[in-house]
Amino acid sequence: MIPFVVFSIRRAWQGFWRNGLMSIAATATMTFMLLLLGGFWIVQSGLSAGLQYVEQKVQVVAYLKDDATQDQVDAAMAGLKQMPEVKQADYVSKNDALTRFRANLAERGQPDLTGSLDTNPLPASIEVYLVDPTDFAAVVAHLDGSPGVDRVDDVQQLVDRVTTVTTVIRTGGIVALILVGLTVLFIIVNTIRLAVTSRAEEIEIMRLVGASDAFIRWPFIFEGALVGLLGALVTLLILAAAAGPLSTLMLGFFRVLPLEFGSLVRDVAILVLVTGVGLGVVGSYVSVRSYLIR
Amino acid sequence: MTLLAGPGIERPAPAATFGAARPVILLRDVTKTYPGGRSALRDVDLTIREGEFVFIVGPSGAGKSTLLKLLIRDEVATEGQVFIDGTDLARLKRREIPKVRRRTGTIFQDFKLLPNRTVWENVAFALEVTGAPRKRIVPDVDRVLALVGLTAQAAQVPTQLSGGEQQRTAIARALVHDPRLIIADEPTGNLDPLISWEIIQLLLRINELGVTVLMATHDAEVVTALRRRVVALEEGRVVRDELGAAYHRED
Ligand SMILES: Nc1ncnc2c1ncn2[C@@H]1O[C@H](COP(=O)(O)OP(=O)(O)O)[C@@H](O)[C@H]1O
Ligand SMILES: [Mg+2]
Repeated sequence: MIPFVVFSIRRAWQGFWRNGLMSIAATATMTFMLLLLGGFWIVQSGLSAGLQYVEQKVQVVAYLKDDATQDQVDAAMAGLKQMPEVKQADYVSKNDALTRFRANLAERGQPDLTGSLDTNPLPASIEVYLVDPTDFAAVVAHLDGSPGVDRVDDVQQLVDRVTTVTTVIRTGGIVALILVGLTVLFIIVNTIRLAVTSRAEEIEIMRLVGASDAFIRWPFIFEGALVGLLGALVTLLILAAAAGPLSTLMLGFFRVLPLEFGSLVRDVAILVLVTGVGLGVVGSYVSVRSYLIR
Repeated sequence: MTLLAGPGIERPAPAATFGAARPVILLRDVTKTYPGGRSALRDVDLTIREGEFVFIVGPSGAGKSTLLKLLIRDEVATEGQVFIDGTDLARLKRREIPKVRRRTGTIFQDFKLLPNRTVWENVAFALEVTGAPRKRIVPDVDRVLALVGLTAQAAQVPTQLSGGEQQRTAIARALVHDPRLIIADEPTGNLDPLISWEIIQLLLRINELGVTVLMATHDAEVVTALRRRVVALEEGRVVRDELGAAYHRED
């Protein structure tokens, strides 16, 4: 068993180098396809995180009566903290609201006329961020029923609009990823098939001199795995080299996204390695099989 | 090569020598029809005994190659039975086929050498694919290369060799398993007459070592000069099976 594996791997290695041009072409195709797949996966992850970010911006806002007591506010807040739907709940006092309003005006370069007011017209509020933006009903009901709450913003329409858009984009992204995945699968398997076909004579000679199916098949399978592994490693090197400049370019953007960089890197590495080696192996197996069955 | 004796020097072995020997090849009422084609072989009965040297002759398309392919189970008979050393090839399990092929050495018109491997590697290849250990491969390969006179060319690749040398490489590869039977499909078809004789002499010498040789050929001069057993095919039928015969019928 062990000598057979060693023999097959050595044969695979020889086969790879002896058919250098074909091997390089196959590895290059493999690399392009894995880059496409890996790149698309990264874009898709970014997109997905972006959509999540947008969805998290949906908030339920409850405006408080001016005469609401601190106890009432505390009770409402305590209730919210108990609810699983709630990601975060903030109390915005009348003063906070005014400060924010002024900052907002200043940012847009509009004259601040609030200085001439002798009272603060803005209400205090409770802002609630949801885990899932469509899961707002209980939160709204809770706030509606809390004493001291004047009115709760109707979020239904906003949620509908946001989720419609994000669902469309998300579905589109997944469909595109599947299409890219199928294209990559097809092209890689076809490339391997071409490489095996160019060695049809070698396979025929092996059969004629009495090689068993296993002795013909395994070197090709290992060779396919080698092409996949090399393609994957080159792809990861290219992605790693691109990651530095890319992340400085997009750091500001990425920082706000709920995207964990470490796990994305891990996912892409696994995706590229498994796809490369897996398709190399499967492609070789399928291609050699058609020459063995006679 | 020391084998280069002139044509006609080898005497035909008397028929009686083989009468008692066991059949290496036995075809019973064999018909082969390719899918969608007409019959390439029809009702062929043939017995070839151990130690014989037999020519299969006939025009192109007569079914010579088909007959040889049946013997290495590259094709399967549509009707009838094919036995090699008493084994019914149609009953072989898939994994037993390679073992049967290793007992037969095959030689082809187009040599079928791996172009990017040396002479030595091409011959060793036939042993390696059987899982033979390296320490057995080296002496065996050296021995057959010496037998065919290619020791000096061991490190060359096929493109650096003459046609005759390429065919001798293929013969060495066929011999390296120590087969009891050699099957040659027009082995001199791509070679000029002098080189052809070289190859024929080599096959005769291998036959003298006790190996049964079955050779399909077009080469009337060689067949007639050697006066061996001749099996003539025409449109898939055996039309003549004669000992000590010429290429053409001589009535
Ligand atoms: N793989 C095949 N498929 C269909 N027909 C074939 C095949 N091989 C040979 N034939 C046909 O079978 C007949 C015998 O061919 P072959 O055995 O090659 O003859 P020979 O070797 O005597 O020239 C021919 O008519 C040929 O066209
Ligand atoms: Mg032929």
